[in-house]
Amino acid sequence: MILTGTGDGKRKDCWRPRRVGVPSGLLYYKYFPLWKAFLEELGAEVVESGKTTRAILSAGVSKAENESCLPVKVFYGHALALRGRVDALFIPRLVSVEKKTHTCPKLLGLPDLVRAAAEDMPPIICPTIDFHHSLWQNYRAVYRVGRLFTANPIRILRAGWRAWRHHREYRRRLAEGWEPLAAMRGEQGDRLAEGRRLRVAVMGHHYNVFDTFTTMSLLDRLRGMGVDIITQDMVPERWREEELKRLPKQIYWNYERELAGSLLACVSRRLVDGIIFVISFACGPDSMVHVLCDQERKRLGRIPMLTLVIDEHTGEAGLITRIEAFVDMLKRVHEGKADRTERELVRA
Amino acid sequence: MKITWPHMGSLDVVLVSVFEEMGVEYVLPPPSSQRTMELGARYAPEFACIPLKTTLGNYIEAIERGADTLLMIAGKGPCRFGFYAETQRRILEEAGFPAEMVALEFHLDRLGELVRNINRLKQGGSWVRLLRAIRFALHKAFLVDRLEQQALHQRCFETEKGATSRALRRAYEVVRRCSDYRGLREAEEECFALLRSVPQREAAEPPVRIAIVGEFYLVLDPWFNLQVEEQLGELGAWVERSVYLTDWLRPSGKNPILGHSERESERAARPYLSHFVGGEGINSVGHTVLFKRAGFDGVLHLLPFTCMPETIAKGILPLVSRDQGIPVLSLVIDEQTGRAGVATRLEAFCDLAKYRRRQSGRSLRSSELSCA
Repeated sequence: MILTGTGDGKRKDCWRPRRVGVPSGLLYYKYFPLWKAFLEELGAEVVESGKTTRAILSAGVSKAENESCLPVKVFYGHALALRGRVDALFIPRLVSVEKKTHTCPKLLGLPDLVRAAAEDMPPIICPTIDFHHSLWQNYRAVYRVGRLFTANPIRILRAGWRAWRHHREYRRRLAEGWEPLAAMRGEQGDRLAEGRRLRVAVMGHHYNVFDTFTTMSLLDRLRGMGVDIITQDMVPERWREEELKRLPKQIYWNYERELAGSLLACVSRRLVDGIIFVISFACGPDSMVHVLCDQERKRLGRIPMLTLVIDEHTGEAGLITRIEAFVDMLKRVHEGKADRTERELVRA
Repeated sequence: MKITWPHMGSLDVVLVSVFEEMGVEYVLPPPSSQRTMELGARYAPEFACIPLKTTLGNYIEAIERGADTLLMIAGKGPCRFGFYAETQRRILEEAGFPAEMVALEFHLDRLGELVRNINRLKQGGSWVRLLRAIRFALHKAFLVDRLEQQALHQRCFETEKGATSRALRRAYEVVRRCSDYRGLREAEEECFALLRSVPQREAAEPPVRIAIVGEFYLVLDPWFNLQVEEQLGELGAWVERSVYLTDWLRPSGKNPILGHSERESERAARPYLSHFVGGEGINSVGHTVLFKRAGFDGVLHLLPFTCMPETIAKGILPLVSRDQGIPVLSLVIDEQTGRAGVATRLEAFCDLAKYRRRQSGRSLRSSELSCA
């Protein structure tokens, strides 16, 4: 469970990491409140690498494989930034978070990849969570993390319970449309949807949509244009599953299921005026799911969709132009519709 | 119903044999060409991996020749390959190519669907006959693989460049023609004699030994990997590869050609990559370690651009290379890859491997070559 250098990987039992680093990339945006509550409850000090910056991205790009997708490169940068500041890195290996599905292969190999990135990487704590296995095995994986910090089993159980409550709370806040970072910190902030005139679904992985640097504050910009935003967390799970059940072949990537399900629910239930699909360059599963979503969208009802492919070379100007053009188009369509209904009213 | 399937190395020898035996109509897609690649790249998503694009190109060319049923394997991930059939079906439908995709999913809880699909494909032929046909075809595949291995081992000794490859192509034809087990036994002798009859020179020093690992489609299909095997052989390298068609067709148990099992390679990979990452990712790492133990001088790692499992392997192989002391060259191949660039890198890589062997002062008797 602990990955160290290429030696035997075994450490003495008395090794007690105090400062634990959590790189702020990839699944950070999904599970950080859970991890943080768990680790802090066990008495560890949690160190984040903070928001993505130009320096972090450049460091990641220089170390990561050229062929990796953008979020993995960003993650490398975050992990490298924590080097030397912490006793251990916390990078869980999430193989599957639901029966019969997988997460992305990159997440399966992530701890090993990070360890191979540099010679002086701190030890990596990587419990394997795999829902193909029994609940007991997953519990044991979590328990073994706890044993690194404390010998008291009750304390580990309590930490797990508290962590789970924090996670539920975070998910509830996201579902209510809190601003992601505010939801993570628990500060009452702006809402993504406040009943403005236009409503746009921003669909994409959390680590793409919520990262303010790589997407150049897409969410803030959209709100600045007077647009309400729907993220995939705001679409109820029941609606997502309904849409997914209709597909001829089930998608087997867990986070893609969420994405495709909520996108299709937005289309078939006409929840939004337009959709922005955010993909990072070289994302494997998204290249497949995009074909599926695009075709199903056309079949279900033509809600306009803008696909934004982001990579480390994406220029701000190009991105803004496209978003502005898209929103302008939506506004025109919307006004056209309003005009029509007014005329119809007059005629009646 | 005219069935077609994409090219993958010598897969057509096997499938043609099965369909002929069953008396089922089929269309062989034209040999892969630049046009195949262009067609695939035109319709496929931009950063889909290259096997998706090329197999899509094969399908389109076969549909142009009258095929209406497309054969593909589906799976459960996490590699994208399991989703090919669904994505390609949608792409072809969207582009207006009239064909039906039949995805065979070999999974216990999809058994009913698999049986229904095969039942439809075999068009009334009996199950016993089908199983016999498959068994015979697997024997053919095994023979083809051993022939290919022989060619890999002897190409570096040929006096006239390309003679081995020519002999191998003639051997394929001989295997393709035979229709019963007796014929196959005769073909075996004939083919090996054919390969052995290629004039060979005595080598002054034992050749440098290079192993090819990586994503199976690229390793198996000489057209898409830019004939790296031939190129390496002609550069004077004794080549071995980690995967043969038989390994792929008989996915469980021991690797019949090379002799090490999946589990062995996974165990070898464990110090570097401790979890399955889909596709062949973990095996690429494991085979590199195993080939080092078998005394190879270098490892060539082939991967399609954006391939997820192999990109992970590529990120970890530098660590393996440092730790084990074996040079590794990762070649990323996509529709833009040029032949000259690959040739230059292979040449430099061979030179490097040779130089390192001389430096380490290890001398290898040629008798050791037979026990790979």
